[in-house]
Amino acid sequence: MKTDKILLDHGSGGKISHSLFSQLILPLFENSALAQQDDGAVLEVGGQQLAFSTDSYVVDPIFFPGGNIGDLAVNGTINDVSMCGAHPLFISAGLIMEEGFPIEDLKVILKTMAHAAKKAGVQIVTGDTKVVPRGKADKIFINTSGIGLIPKGVNVSGNHAKPGDKIIVSGTIADHGITVLSTREGLKFDSDVKSDSAPLNHMVKAILDSGCDVHVLRDPTRGGLGTTLNEIASQSNVQIQIFEESLPVHNSVKGICELLGFDPLYIANEGKLIAFVPEDDADKVLKIIQQDEFGKDAVVIGEVKESNPGKVVMQTAIGGLRRVDMLTGEQLPRIC
Amino acid sequence: MGLKYVDEYRDASLAKQLISKINDVSEKPLRLMEVCGTHTMSIFRHGIRTVLPGNITLLAGPGCPVCVTAQKDIDAFIQFARMDDVIVTTFGDLIKVPGSGSSLAREQSLGADVRIVYSVFDATNIAKENPGQQVVFCGVGFETTIPTIAASVLTASGDGLENFSIYSANKLTPPALAALMEADGVEIDGFILPGHVSVITGTDAYRGTFEKYDIPSVISGFEPVDILKAVLMLVEQNEKGVPALENAYPRAVSDQGNTKAKIIVDQVFEICDASWRGIGTIPQSGMCLKDAFHSFDAAIKFAMDLPDVPEPKGCACGEILMGLKTPKECKLYKKRCTPMDPVGPCMVSSEGACAAFIKYSN
Ligand code: SF4
Repeated sequence: MKTDKILLDHGSGGKISHSLFSQLILPLFENSALAQQDDGAVLEVGGQQLAFSTDSYVVDPIFFPGGNIGDLAVNGTINDVSMCGAHPLFISAGLIMEEGFPIEDLKVILKTMAHAAKKAGVQIVTGDTKVVPRGKADKIFINTSGIGLIPKGVNVSGNHAKPGDKIIVSGTIADHGITVLSTREGLKFDSDVKSDSAPLNHMVKAILDSGCDVHVLRDPTRGGLGTTLNEIASQSNVQIQIFEESLPVHNSVKGICELLGFDPLYIANEGKLIAFVPEDDADKVLKIIQQDEFGKDAVVIGEVKESNPGKVVMQTAIGGLRRVDMLTGEQLPRIC
Repeated sequence: MGLKYVDEYRDASLAKQLISKINDVSEKPLRLMEVCGTHTMSIFRHGIRTVLPGNITLLAGPGCPVCVTAQKDIDAFIQFARMDDVIVTTFGDLIKVPGSGSSLAREQSLGADVRIVYSVFDATNIAKENPGQQVVFCGVGFETTIPTIAASVLTASGDGLENFSIYSANKLTPPALAALMEADGVEIDGFILPGHVSVITGTDAYRGTFEKYDIPSVISGFEPVDILKAVLMLVEQNEKGVPALENAYPRAVSDQGNTKAKIIVDQVFEICDASWRGIGTIPQSGMCLKDAFHSFDAAIKFAMDLPDVPEPKGCACGEILMGLKTPKECKLYKKRCTPMDPVGPCMVSSEGACAAFIKYSN
């Protein structure tokens, strides 16, 4: 049934978030940058191309193995700007805190943010703090925005995928979402699962500096790899085929997914990218990614085809074929 | 984490051997029903339909708990959500199922306190934390879930937890199989029997149905190799004309099942008639709380006794879970009914046939 209220699903990053965007938001703000529907807006100012992006973080719990809401907020925006083919330079941070939030926790979060920014080589140059009465927000929410410069000649976008492209993923999928979920639910797994929260701007720079032809860069965050691939398939009007056997998933993450009935294809990542690269350059780009500290487990997971545009299919390990649809419904709320 | 365990039964080369054997042996047209929703999901997830020969049709059966829940029970959950000072606790899939005019999700967005829980014990904890409120758990499950629900009632009773109750729409598998065999127009050449349910019930629970109807029946696990093995056994039984009740999941299922769990269930529940979507009332197919536990029965506590209501118009969910129709034969499929705006529960539950069709098949 249609709803006249915002449901948790509207924040899933899946189908229903997309319809909120395309039916309500886009028509009201109609402009060409927004209509591109990439991770950030690509703008031209005085002959220079800029990338500009914003994101809000409401993760629960705010501390989890591998990071906290602070580095998540910084890395997330760095990555969104980077996926436009840009070098991120400056970031803003807006904090919304609940009355009674411990200063000690805030200190830890701010320190992590500073450290993450330093590691990525960006500066947090402006910001804002607001406090709301107890119970009106949950601990702390963070919004970050970032801008970066797009070097001359670089032109990556979700609508540039071409038949024949190889698809590279920079490492194991589903680590972040599964970490947050198992921390939140107090699930005790004797596992080494931790969030993959990481800045990918150095990796992107190395790819672009190599002179290799890159058609698409994306970070499969909320909604997971499956949803991101669907976005690209429909933006570029191509079919995407992936191979189940090549999908990199940590053993323990796979185990937790099995146990809880989740599909790693729809679980959020916070430090992974996918690159669509013409076959001739694929090996070279793969090696470059593997040399980066966050790309050691990079592999080719699939390719772009012509038939059946807009669809994503997967060859399963047993040789069957199945569709990979966009995430429908909220798989996990408040994961980032 | 028992990962190796899973991978072994996902072994691609073993699966491929089974696939070619099935292709070699199978000649007759066969309609095999996977009774359990988890099987349906696994079959789609691994693309098993696409590797079987064209003469084998797999049908999704009545083993998706949310899908078989009668409309009046969904309406009861919604009524609970509308009551003041009631917290409704439920497994996730249920909240989007449309009742007559609303859904738990809708009530939630209107301010009702509806909480998704992963276990019934989350619900008893919520009851402990909220002594001023009544906590109702929507009990929608089969033999697999019923023991835990029974245990929660025992615990609640021991703890004197007075603000906790369950609404039992729980159901039993074997009577549903018998009802299918009796129903008009149903053509089934074999059952792929549910692994998880059988862990509790044991193989023996199906013997009555098997002997009465002489229907090839194989208990199966959920990994591709398990399912393919069960399909091969059913094909062989049919080709040879020798129906049998076999257990292809012996690593988890015994003849007697889990006697401890069965004892706990017997303490709390008794068998009663139950109303199934599409099929109607099946005698002796439900689980109701025994008299001694009536204070934990939400239906009694809140005098909730709704009449049978018709299912959503045009929704073929009931026929689908009897193997009479496929989702694509429903006029509303993908048109009026989508996962974002579902008409029937088969489109809501991740284990539902319509949801699986839309999600995994092109
Ligand atoms: S497609 Fe929708 S309306 Fe049709 S049977 Fe399935 S759930 Fe019911």
